[in-house]
Amino acid sequence: MAHAKSFIAPLSRCNFPSIATSKPEFARLTLLPYQSIRCAATGTSANAAKYKRKEQPGFQKKKKSRSTFIQYDLKNAEQFSLVDAMQYIRAFEVGRNPTSSKYEMHVKLRTLKNGPVIRNRFRLPHPVKTDLRICVICPPDSKAAAEAKAAGASLVGEDEIFNQIKEGIVDFERCICHMDSLQKLNKAGLGRILGPKGLMPNAKTGTVVKDVGTTVRNMVGGSEYRERLGVIRMAVGQLGFTPEEMQRNIKAVMETLKKDIAQMSDRISKEIHEVVLSSTNSPGFSLNGEFRSPNSVPTKDLSNPL
Amino acid sequence: MVNIIKRMRKLRELLWIRVGPGALILPKEVSKISMEFNTKINGGHRGARKFWREMLPRIKYRNPAIPIQISRHNDANGPAKLYIYTSPSSPSSTTDQNSTTTTNSTATQTPETAKPTHTIDLRMVPESQILAELIKATKAEVIEAGEAELSEMRDIEEQKMRSAKDREEVREKLVKERREAELLRLARGEAGLA
Repeated sequence: MAHAKSFIAPLSRCNFPSIATSKPEFARLTLLPYQSIRCAATGTSANAAKYKRKEQPGFQKKKKSRSTFIQYDLKNAEQFSLVDAMQYIRAFEVGRNPTSSKYEMHVKLRTLKNGPVIRNRFRLPHPVKTDLRICVICPPDSKAAAEAKAAGASLVGEDEIFNQIKEGIVDFERCICHMDSLQKLNKAGLGRILGPKGLMPNAKTGTVVKDVGTTVRNMVGGSEYRERLGVIRMAVGQLGFTPEEMQRNIKAVMETLKKDIAQMSDRISKEIHEVVLSSTNSPGFSLNGEFRSPNSVPTKDLSNPL
Repeated sequence: MVNIIKRMRKLRELLWIRVGPGALILPKEVSKISMEFNTKINGGHRGARKFWREMLPRIKYRNPAIPIQISRHNDANGPAKLYIYTSPSSPSSTTDQNSTTTTNSTATQTPETAKPTHTIDLRMVPESQILAELIKATKAEVIEAGEAELSEMRDIEEQKMRSAKDREEVREKLVKERREAELLRLARGEAGLA
């Protein structure tokens, strides 16, 4: 079987191109022995070419890989003052729901590709309020429960929550457990439901705490950032913020960033290269660090709701 | 982060928000503009949406202090209206109109403050006509593009044409290369069988 196939295949391969070619070639087809030899010859050369191709990339592969991200010159870049950027962004967000659109900030760093990344969590002066629902597991009538509720937790309790979760109702995005309730939680056997969602309280992730109130407060108003591919991206404000509020928020972000960079070891150098402000529906505006330019609109105009 | 050249090109094209249809300065009496239309274009809501996407940014850019609200409902037979609210020569009242836009369609059907001064029906009306009616109703002052802006606009247009042509060429080349590679692969696959 294999033999028969191997004879047919080269023949068909030869026939195919010859149809397209000129007449003298067609005449050659009648000489069968010659033809078969020719086919064999082309077959080997194709094989040879295949092996050759395999070898070639090996030689070229020794290209030096880059250890830093590509840097660009900002000399010719168009940069905006904060007020100008906000005027544009508010125009882009016209008619949107002001609670759903957010200002975003992108900070490009000069850093190594394989170095340590910078990450932290802190509170903005004007928190970007997200409707983060937090579940706190602690005895419902304890002092901790009252603290958690005051700090903005949406679900507080023990057995009620366990029953709810067992029924499959998980309507929260974070889960915190008080130290004293940990045993009860472990007994309830919720790991199977909460574990895959990453909601199971655990001392390692810092979700089993003594002081529930402050943890919840930090979670509600806090924001987290992390460097990815040399850029830090984070939400810095709601669309309804005034330029002054945005300025305070951006300043706070930059100060924490600088502090965190300074805290890293001396061998690693990270520098801030570019700061870009954008929003949910707008392009990014590179900021030049100034609050307002000589011909920007008065800040009062940008203060009222969209 | 997006490539710097791409970003800068986009920012250069921001010119469209500064000039063009809709670049106008509304008189001081206008305190608020609100629109109401369907989320889908069926039933003549197309012009309203186009107006929102293309001209409202220009209006908002030139009049940052005027709140503009949009509520979209899910009813194709529902209203498609543009409301213009005016307050007689007291610009401070714009701030107390605490507008919290909700997708709730009743928000603008029964405005909390007062009756709108002008109401424009948007059903089956193209966006350019909406703008014309808005200008007529408010007597807004239209900003004409200057010579420098016009020439820059021409530049951008030219560049866009060039890039479209280049894109076509590159695409042709790519498709050809791919087809050749595919043919080669097929041929080699048969050789492998042999």
